[in-house]
Amino acid sequence: MQAILVILLLLTVAGQACAEEFTFDESEIEKKFWYLGGYAEARPGLNLLDQDAAQTRLRYYNRHVDDLPVDFNGKLLLEGSLEKGWAKLFVQPSLDYTNTRLNNYLKLSWYEAWLQAKPNDHFRVLTGKKSLRWGKGYAWNPVAFFDRPKNPDDPELSLEGYWLATAEYIHSLDGPLKTVAFTPLILPQNHDLNSDFGTDDQVNWGGKLYLLLYDTDIDLIMRGKGGREAAYGLDFSRNLTTNFELHGELAWLVNAKRQVIGSSGQRSTLSGDALSWLVGLRYLTEQDTTWIVEYYRNGAGYTKNEMDSYYQQVEQGWTAWQTSANPTKLQQLGQNQSYSRAAAMRDYLYARVSQKEPFDVLYFTPAITTIVNLQDQSLSLAPELVYTGITNLELRLKGTATIGTRDTEYGEKQNDARIELRVRYYF
Amino acid sequence: MKLLTTLMLAVLYSLPAFALDGQQLLKQIDRNMNPESYESYRKLINIEPDGTRKEFTLYTVKKGADKVASLFLAPASDKGRTTLRLGDNMWLLIPNVGKPVRITSLQSVVGGVFNNADILQLDYDAEYRVEKVEDKDGDYLLHLKARNRTVAYDRVRIWADKGKKMPHKIECLTEAGMLIKTLYFKDHKNFGGFSRPATVETDSPLYKGYKSVMLYAKMKKRSFKDEVFTLNGMATIDSLR
Repeated sequence: MQAILVILLLLTVAGQACAEEFTFDESEIEKKFWYLGGYAEARPGLNLLDQDAAQTRLRYYNRHVDDLPVDFNGKLLLEGSLEKGWAKLFVQPSLDYTNTRLNNYLKLSWYEAWLQAKPNDHFRVLTGKKSLRWGKGYAWNPVAFFDRPKNPDDPELSLEGYWLATAEYIHSLDGPLKTVAFTPLILPQNHDLNSDFGTDDQVNWGGKLYLLLYDTDIDLIMRGKGGREAAYGLDFSRNLTTNFELHGELAWLVNAKRQVIGSSGQRSTLSGDALSWLVGLRYLTEQDTTWIVEYYRNGAGYTKNEMDSYYQQVEQGWTAWQTSANPTKLQQLGQNQSYSRAAAMRDYLYARVSQKEPFDVLYFTPAITTIVNLQDQSLSLAPELVYTGITNLELRLKGTATIGTRDTEYGEKQNDARIELRVRYYF
Repeated sequence: MKLLTTLMLAVLYSLPAFALDGQQLLKQIDRNMNPESYESYRKLINIEPDGTRKEFTLYTVKKGADKVASLFLAPASDKGRTTLRLGDNMWLLIPNVGKPVRITSLQSVVGGVFNNADILQLDYDAEYRVEKVEDKDGDYLLHLKARNRTVAYDRVRIWADKGKKMPHKIECLTEAGMLIKTLYFKDHKNFGGFSRPATVETDSPLYKGYKSVMLYAKMKKRSFKDEVFTLNGMATIDSLR
């Protein structure tokens, strides 16, 4: 009898142990009217400097810099919100610390700060600072007429928005057209507000019409003539199978302008309509390898001849500095950022291959990314390792090598190679 | 003679009532598993062979046969991520990225054994047709075949209790019959008006030693506007809670 009681007791305890193996406490899902979160990250990096590259000469012509400079970047990104009924207030300040050979500063930016009213599921209005992120492309978005350009080397980074006012009307239907949504917006600009967009006292306007038609996302986008010229865009995205997605963008930029430096050093502004477009895919193989491939035609980008002229001018500026210590030309060229921006030329190919959890290592994702400038055959190659196995901690080790001869975009980049560790903790 | 004819006709007419309609049974199983439109909270736990765990908490809303959306509430690294499924279309909204991107059903936004199709599960009746129903040791064994090639698993086998018409085991297979994963339904719980398994465990021969568990809480009937299940509505799912 005693033995039976012991067995029963053991079974009861074992049963309780099993039942307690997984718990779901309802306090974990209680909703509060406020939220505060974000992440802190540290990004130490080691660079292999190309002392003869155009970008290095423009930045460091008057100072000594090691072949292997170390830099450190830190970031504290906070997110906070208050929500009551149909109203929501959201703020996203970012505190950035940069310590490089050229800069050492702490900077506070408000990436987003907006107030939203959502009286019902069909309609909402929003005013404040917001990053819209229009477009379907992964690395580039030629139709993002009201956004800052994203960095194709790290397309998923948060971006600082613009101050604007927007509304959204959504309607669902039965049949091949499942959703219609209309998003008009206005974006004022002057010396104090949205000065990165334009400094004239102007009100920019535009909008987006979204359709989910025959299982395809379609956006029709426009920007009216305001501080910037008018622009018209179209994008689409569609899953062709369970593992294959196709997307594209087309942008018609009316009277697009670009600053050009001629072969004799004269500056001029060229203008004319430009057509930019992008086509891309995401493909998942049976081995859990994800391919993202995009071709980007930047209709407003520089031609090979224009880029060659620019590099010749940098060379001449460097010679002037070395022979007569005259920095004027290098300083003037250094002020023109449009030649050194990402995707400054016309034809690019982006490819990223990532392997989910190889060798059964959960939460581990190695990837390799390349961006090829098809005009001058130069490229960047970036292998990376990401591990997210520790709750709220993300570790990324990323290397980048630039490959190209002289007078090519990647051959004239400041670094031949860079290795960076990013440690990000979410809270 | 007239009596005999009447009897024969009566028997003939009554035959369909006794014959088992597999598709109807599948619809019944779907409804027993959850209301057609509902909200619920789920905790996903990925367990590695050494016992290491990673947990995700989600708020899920579903409407009709083909609309479902989930918002990640925890951990902090995933908070705010929102997934939406409209039939064969799936999107993921990552707050930092700021816009919904299309994802595919075979990918997994959480890693581990559960893929996107498991997390954004529609009614089985919406995705599969019943090829055969067997009587197996007091259970129904339903053999399902995907209605089209966009469905994550080409074949599914459901073992359901005959009395409750509630599954206790589901096998997911490839077109060639290779087992991809097995789901085990446990821990029946009353969710106020209906009862269903509150725990779903899964393992896979493709992930030897790994296990994933899904726990349900606060599931309840609720109706939603169609506009909730749109790309534009994804950013405001939290306002439904």
